[in-house]
Amino acid sequence: MKILIADDEALSRKLLEKILQRSGYDVIAVENGRQAAEQLCQPDGPRLALLDWMMPELDGPGVCREVRRHRKLSYVHMILLTSKESKQHIVQGLQSGADDYVVKPCDPQELEARLRTGLRILELEDQLVEAREDMRFKASHDPLTGLFNRGVIMDLLGRELARTHREQGCTTMLLGDVDHFKKVNDAYGHAAGDDVLREVARRLLSSVRSYDFVGRFGGEEFLIVLNNCNASFAFARAEQIRKAVANSPVQTSRGPVAVTMSFGVLSSADWGVRPVEELLHETDLALYASKAAGRNCCRVANPQESGAAAELSLQAPPSRTR
Amino acid sequence: MQNAVQNTAGHVFNFAELLERIDNDAEFLRELLSIFKRDYPRRLHSLKEAITGAEMKQVEAASHSLKGMFSNLAMDRAAAAAARLEQMGRNRVRVGLEDALALLEHEVAGVLPVLDAYLEGARR
Repeated sequence: MKILIADDEALSRKLLEKILQRSGYDVIAVENGRQAAEQLCQPDGPRLALLDWMMPELDGPGVCREVRRHRKLSYVHMILLTSKESKQHIVQGLQSGADDYVVKPCDPQELEARLRTGLRILELEDQLVEAREDMRFKASHDPLTGLFNRGVIMDLLGRELARTHREQGCTTMLLGDVDHFKKVNDAYGHAAGDDVLREVARRLLSSVRSYDFVGRFGGEEFLIVLNNCNASFAFARAEQIRKAVANSPVQTSRGPVAVTMSFGVLSSADWGVRPVEELLHETDLALYASKAAGRNCCRVANPQESGAAAELSLQAPPSRTR
Repeated sequence: MQNAVQNTAGHVFNFAELLERIDNDAEFLRELLSIFKRDYPRRLHSLKEAITGAEMKQVEAASHSLKGMFSNLAMDRAAAAAARLEQMGRNRVRVGLEDALALLEHEVAGVLPVLDAYLEGARR
């Protein structure tokens, strides 16, 4: 564990360094408050600190205030070293953001005990952060595939469409559906079906750029948001992604299963300003068109043919089974 | 040698407490004493300048530093003298500063030969 000692007095620094190294700490020693604040405000800076009260440039309470103001990501446990034993000073020190104080000269055993208390607090904080991140992930991701869930991918789509409209760019969205997925479940069982969905998700994710988004839209449907993807490239990109899925059978617990997908494709620049729901509906109609065309293919939603696609979807209710 | 130091300077230098604090590490003690011998004159000079210029805030800061040094080396009486100067600096009390400084120097003067003897003994 890294620990920072800030003390302008060399002898005091040396003594503390010795005590802490003996206890197994990785010690960083600085001689003024400004250096201490700089070290502690680094994202990967020490999370335990012993700060002398009186120091040049910035005193101990000043360091505490600065660290509390600037380091937000991880908590720093700060102990003030002081010969100021009055109640007023102790209150002032704790109000500045210090967690504890030790009266100088330090008794090694007391100091070690107080540092262990600090470590316990930091461990608790780590556990809380981990639990929060876990909950955040669960709230935003699909548990089976690890992709964004429907709520998040829709939110991201809405934001990207707004941004590209502002910047007069183009966002391309792909709505993909695994062909005959029900048959996979029926023939191989739900466990194999889950294997297929997980592998399809992996293939989709690995076939897009790091700044594109992939989400599970529902059942066997996936929504892909390609940022800054022009309409002229949209079909070719969709075809690449489709082929990435169909390229080789998926290895499941019940053996290899051939998997293909059909895609509806829509580029926002072709459609002007429309509500997200409307664009998604048009993409869905294009997906129906690809199903009607025999599956394992992509169809681009075209504003001029929008009515025809709608008509096609109405004429083909069985495609709901996909 | 340790006993000699204790006997000679027991009244100004709490040697046993210091050794306990540093886990009876004689080599480390020598290192600390060397730091003290190096830093003390500079800190004292800074205090004297502050007293001469009647810069009371500086008197408080310089005395505080010295008090920390003395306390760390268990030089209790010197630490008490420095604490008195620190208090005077904080309360802007100019009368008696010279006397308080003289007392501090006197207390340290009692310890310095002991420290020298210890360092010399350890070298042999």
